[in-house]
Amino acid sequence: MEILRCEGVRKVYGSGGSQVTALNGIDLTVEKGEFTAIMGASGSGKSTLLHILGSVDQPTEGKVIIDGTDLSGLNQTQAAVFRRRKVGLVYQFYNLIPTLTVRKNICMPLALDKKKLNKEYFETIVGSLGIQDKLDALPGQLSGGQQQRVAIARSLIYRPALLLADEPTGNLDQKNSKEIMDMLKLSNRNLNQTILLITHDEKIALEADRMIIIEDGQIISDERRR
Amino acid sequence: MRIKKNHSFPVSVLVAAFISALLLSLLCAMFYNMWKYETERITLEEGGWQSRIAGDFAPEEIEIIKSYATVKDAAVNEKEHAVDLYFDPMRAVLKDTPRIAGLVGRPMENVSYHHGLLAMYLIRDPEDPEPRLTFPFLLLIMVTASLSLIVIIHNAFAVSMYAKLHQIGIFSSVGATPGQIRLWLLREAAVLCAAPILAGNLLGIWMSRILLHMTNRLLGSAAPGQHESVFGYHPLVLALTLLVTVATVWISAWLPAGKLSRMTPLEAIKNTGELTLKRRNSPRVLAFLFGLEGELAGNALKAQRKALRMTSLSFICSFMAFTLMQCFFTMSGISTRETYFEKYLNVWDVMVTVKDEKIDSFEDTARIQELPGVKEAVVYQKAMAERMVAEDEISEEMRFLGGFAHAARSQVVKTDQGWLINAPIVILDDTSFLVYCEQTGAAPRLDGAIIRNQIRDVTSPDFRHPKYMPYIKDTDTVSLLRQAGNEEMTAEIPVLSYTAEVPALREEYASLDPYELVHFVPVSLWKEIKGQIGGIEKDIYICILGRENETLEALRVLQDEVAGLLGRTHALESENRIQEKETNDRQIQGMMAVFGGFCVLLALIGVGNVFSNTLGFVYQRKREFARYMSVGLTPKELGKMFCIEALVIAGRPVLITLPLAVAVVGYLLRLSYLEAEVFLAEAPFLPIVIFMLAIWGFVALAYYLGWRNVRKISLADALKDDTMM
Repeated sequence: MEILRCEGVRKVYGSGGSQVTALNGIDLTVEKGEFTAIMGASGSGKSTLLHILGSVDQPTEGKVIIDGTDLSGLNQTQAAVFRRRKVGLVYQFYNLIPTLTVRKNICMPLALDKKKLNKEYFETIVGSLGIQDKLDALPGQLSGGQQQRVAIARSLIYRPALLLADEPTGNLDQKNSKEIMDMLKLSNRNLNQTILLITHDEKIALEADRMIIIEDGQIISDERRR
Repeated sequence: MRIKKNHSFPVSVLVAAFISALLLSLLCAMFYNMWKYETERITLEEGGWQSRIAGDFAPEEIEIIKSYATVKDAAVNEKEHAVDLYFDPMRAVLKDTPRIAGLVGRPMENVSYHHGLLAMYLIRDPEDPEPRLTFPFLLLIMVTASLSLIVIIHNAFAVSMYAKLHQIGIFSSVGATPGQIRLWLLREAAVLCAAPILAGNLLGIWMSRILLHMTNRLLGSAAPGQHESVFGYHPLVLALTLLVTVATVWISAWLPAGKLSRMTPLEAIKNTGELTLKRRNSPRVLAFLFGLEGELAGNALKAQRKALRMTSLSFICSFMAFTLMQCFFTMSGISTRETYFEKYLNVWDVMVTVKDEKIDSFEDTARIQELPGVKEAVVYQKAMAERMVAEDEISEEMRFLGGFAHAARSQVVKTDQGWLINAPIVILDDTSFLVYCEQTGAAPRLDGAIIRNQIRDVTSPDFRHPKYMPYIKDTDTVSLLRQAGNEEMTAEIPVLSYTAEVPALREEYASLDPYELVHFVPVSLWKEIKGQIGGIEKDIYICILGRENETLEALRVLQDEVAGLLGRTHALESENRIQEKETNDRQIQGMMAVFGGFCVLLALIGVGNVFSNTLGFVYQRKREFARYMSVGLTPKELGKMFCIEALVIAGRPVLITLPLAVAVVGYLLRLSYLEAEVFLAEAPFLPIVIFMLAIWGFVALAYYLGWRNVRKISLADALKDDTMM
């Protein structure tokens, strides 16, 4: 089942002589349950693609459809609601709300929708991520690895159609990086969670089922490994 | 090298500098004029001499004094039998006056200083026992104002400078020293603040002029004992104001600049300037009322607590001061109206005081009573006497309440024969006395007294609703009065009647000393007894009631007629009821305008601070908002969060003030025995609501502008920031 489709996505920044084409005709489809890594050097356009897929940014041209929703037609409010319900975003620097406890950070997408928490699912997530004893702490009281686990838990709580991870291990040491990757793989396998991971690290990218290489805003390689 | 401009922050810095300059300039100009007024008052009332040497001086001696190097002038004061000295420079007065006294052979005991005047120039004689704190007090207020402003406005500079932190980090990484960074920041602050400081200063001077004019007009400078304050401004005051303003603004800018310049390059590049919570403390009430947005808003407010402290303080203090002032003046107005204007409404229209005149020699009574605009005119004088009240004279009602047991020694003196009490005498012109006899049902005679036989229940503290009872038994037909302070001099006068009624005069009886026994006597009787008990009477009063519904103009005409009749032969003071009411209203309005103005200024500090804070949101809270948005907070939900924050900032002063105001007003109502419903009928709801809405309006506007800026934040750009953690 197709969960993501990009058709001729272009993103151009600036105007006139200072125009920069960040993405140049991206065509891409992702099936439900796939663990895909997008790899590219700095400035290749991979983060721009992630922002467009996360409805944080709009493409200049082309179409992006996630779980049946065409992102190009969304206004600011619809885009925000889409972000909270359909995609889970995991950033390199966690992006947790420093003034809320871990529990509230994780439940935030549900709270914004005034939806009741499925306790069993919540406990499964925090248990598998190993943060069940940190739920009442503030993010600032946790290590980088622990904060990233909280960010993953938050991104999974709404059972999103797509989990987008932007260099999730970029700020972590080797041990923590491995643990985070294991957890992403675990959620992919156990929860059948579709994951799109963006990295510049080939070693990390090799952990995914599919590896797409992007260069100068274009896909130059798309390899299914499993 | 020039630091890149950020367009939104300088606005808050400009506002901060402008408000500081305005307030300090206003204070300096007002204080200078207060000082000038006080100095002029002292000079007018006590003379402008700086020191004085007592004794008679020959012209040669005066010449010797005048030729002394630091003496500006020396004038013979014949009234005081002394020579008044004026020095230039004035500070030489303490050192040179003893030398001059020695030069002309006068002992030190003959030397005196004009301490009051000298203190106004900060020249203090160590032997002056008086504290004379006017000038130091004004200086203390200035220093306090300056320090308060530093606390308030340094945040605006901090926000502005932190916006450039990333650039500063880069400068620092390429070798800029802390001193250079500090200099850049301060130079930029100086360039930004120069114009607002000048504009604020000029506006402050202009406002002080207007304020002084209003004070003169509203507080009634024409009142006796006050001279008109004429606005003045000295170049030195301008220099001092500029100095204080520049110092205040400079310290405010220097504090964050110093802190910033000491950061390492890495700290500066990575520092987000973001507000964080140090302790986990969930805002339960806001979360309960408004859900997640309420909790986020509550946390954000806690994180901004330091930046918003002065806003909260300023709003709470100004709203509380304004509310209490309004309530106090309303109560005071009701009280004055009930106990004075309404009480004496049909008693007087014009009141004339004839200075230093005896009623028995006053011959113009009939002519005044026959003036065309006069309905009734009572000419009277007040005299003091004492009389004895024996145990068996006390009324049964008074005896029941303990007799004189509650009286102070200053009011009643216990003797072997009974109690010696004050017996004020009101001497009425004969015609008025006969009218009074008719009013009380007494025999119309001019050889006796009518006694106000009434005493207030002194055990009840309710002065507004006093209970009266008969004072003495009304059996005695004579009253033996003694001259005040001299029991040898007595006069026995027949009593025509004992009554609770008093003549229609603008007088309070037994208000300070409830044990007074007031005697009303005709001038004919007074002529016979004044030799025994009179002597210290001072002025005559003429209480005139005009025709029905007289206008202010008609009363002024009446005043002029009386002045025309008596003015050439007597020293007069005259007032009229309508004018007095208008003056009273104007004075109260004036005081309310002045106090209200200070409340507004106080609130403006908070308004300035809240603007400086919200205009800094784009920088200070960009990351916070980006995080919310990235998780899925919609613009509407973000707007709700802003509304909650604004509501808390604007609502807190109201929530704190209202219960306190209710408690204070309740206490004052109890203290003044004013009925709550009377107060509520005239309670100043409208001005309080307007003041509250003005605060709310400004906070809403500040948050709207902040919100407008925040909406321009590009989430994608914010998320690209590699310092987002």
